[in-house]
Amino acid sequence: MLANAADRASRSLFRVIATDIHFWIPFAVLIGGFVLLDHLH
Amino acid sequence: MKMNRVETETSAVVPSRMLPTRLRTLQALGIFCGFAAGAWLGGAEAPIKLVNPDISPITVSLIMVFGVFLARWSVPAFIRGTSQVHSDVLQAPHLVVWAVLAGCMWAVANTLTIYAIRNVGLSIAFPLWNTNSLLGIFWGFLLFNELHFAGWKRWLGVLGGAVCMFGGATLLAIASAHQAAPGKAAMGILAALGAGILWGTMYVPYRKAYLTGMNPLSFITFFSVGELVTMTLLAVGYRGATPLWHELVGARAVLFWLMLGGFVWVIGDLFQQYATKYVGISRGIPLSNTNQLWGLLWGLLVFHELRGGSQTVYAQVAGGSLLMAMGAVAIALSSATEREHSSWQDAADREGQRYGVENEYVRAGLEGREMQKGKITDKTAATPGTRSVLDWLLMLVTTFLFAVLAAMARLPHMEIALGWAAALVVTMLVLLATCGIALWRTTRFR
Repeated sequence: MLANAADRASRSLFRVIATDIHFWIPFAVLIGGFVLLDHLH
Repeated sequence: MKMNRVETETSAVVPSRMLPTRLRTLQALGIFCGFAAGAWLGGAEAPIKLVNPDISPITVSLIMVFGVFLARWSVPAFIRGTSQVHSDVLQAPHLVVWAVLAGCMWAVANTLTIYAIRNVGLSIAFPLWNTNSLLGIFWGFLLFNELHFAGWKRWLGVLGGAVCMFGGATLLAIASAHQAAPGKAAMGILAALGAGILWGTMYVPYRKAYLTGMNPLSFITFFSVGELVTMTLLAVGYRGATPLWHELVGARAVLFWLMLGGFVWVIGDLFQQYATKYVGISRGIPLSNTNQLWGLLWGLLVFHELRGGSQTVYAQVAGGSLLMAMGAVAIALSSATEREHSSWQDAADREGQRYGVENEYVRAGLEGREMQKGKITDKTAATPGTRSVLDWLLMLVTTFLFAVLAAMARLPHMEIALGWAAALVVTMLVLLATCGIALWRTTRFR
């Protein structure tokens, strides 16, 4: 029961983060940074 | 379970606003933290100057990050105890993801600066990545209601100050560049701009965390996880595990200086986090960018850099320093009005509702005070100041490691003005003590 509740809660948490546009801005910038770094290397 | 609130509860929004006197106190505190951050972030460059330039920049960065990691766990344990970190995570678990994301961004940006300096030299690279403050102002305005209802005078103060500091940084960087940049200019400029964009955007997670009420001391612990993992992956990926290990073993005489640099940097970053929390990213970032001025002071006075330079160089240093100081003062005098602060609170309420964070937790964080336990439903809030066995263990292990590394450390043969070094260290310690006491008295390090 407790494990299920924790699992449900973490899934809900990640859903809220994934639907937050604020998350995707830094995430996209980070991916861009990795691509640039790889290119420079 | 706490996290269930994300989908089941909606926090009640309390319409009352912060007292004007409290707001003014917090603004002044944030500005003070911004200046202290500049001194400590700039001071972090000093131990690194003692390191042999033969060591690969990625390895230097990795060793510094080890020092940063140790500091980011032991300093919070010393100040408030790790139980506070646990309590913060239970209140706002989503911020762990944000902190790790910010740490990853820092590591990538820091590595990019190495490529930038190598390709275009410090004089071009530094001002380019210092554009992070302009980007910070943009994100602060767009995403977190900063500078809303601020009036044209404050807009002028913040934007004009940031532009002034950018000009000053350019002059200082040109003056302190020792070597002409080799080719690959486009790549270097791209790397420097990339670092600026990453660092400017890294403040989005910072602001997100502090609007939701998280304690900077808790945020930096998870930040360091993203930082260390990313930096280790980059170092192993680019250098190879065996050559990296050999380089680390070969560098044992300078490990202490690099890790000390990381430790000092963390103190500066901690002040920067508090500045971001209490004055926002649009003002906090430019203020902590005064670190360039302090780095220059260390270089000029302690390491005799620019000695025998031309009059043009000294004019650039004087002009750049003056411009940076004027910019910082302009920003410091443009603190948020009550009306602007109420739009920050709107952004905070929005965050609290989205992530189901307790309203009292959000408000207490924004007002820099402890939560009123009667007002919160969660009983996990730890009593501040209590330390567990884990806290003492963290402090002991860090002290022991630094003592061992100090015993192995060697001072390089170079001319150092010890008198000036002592004066700058004393200044930094005075800033640490006064700002630390102000933070304790006003917010109890909230």
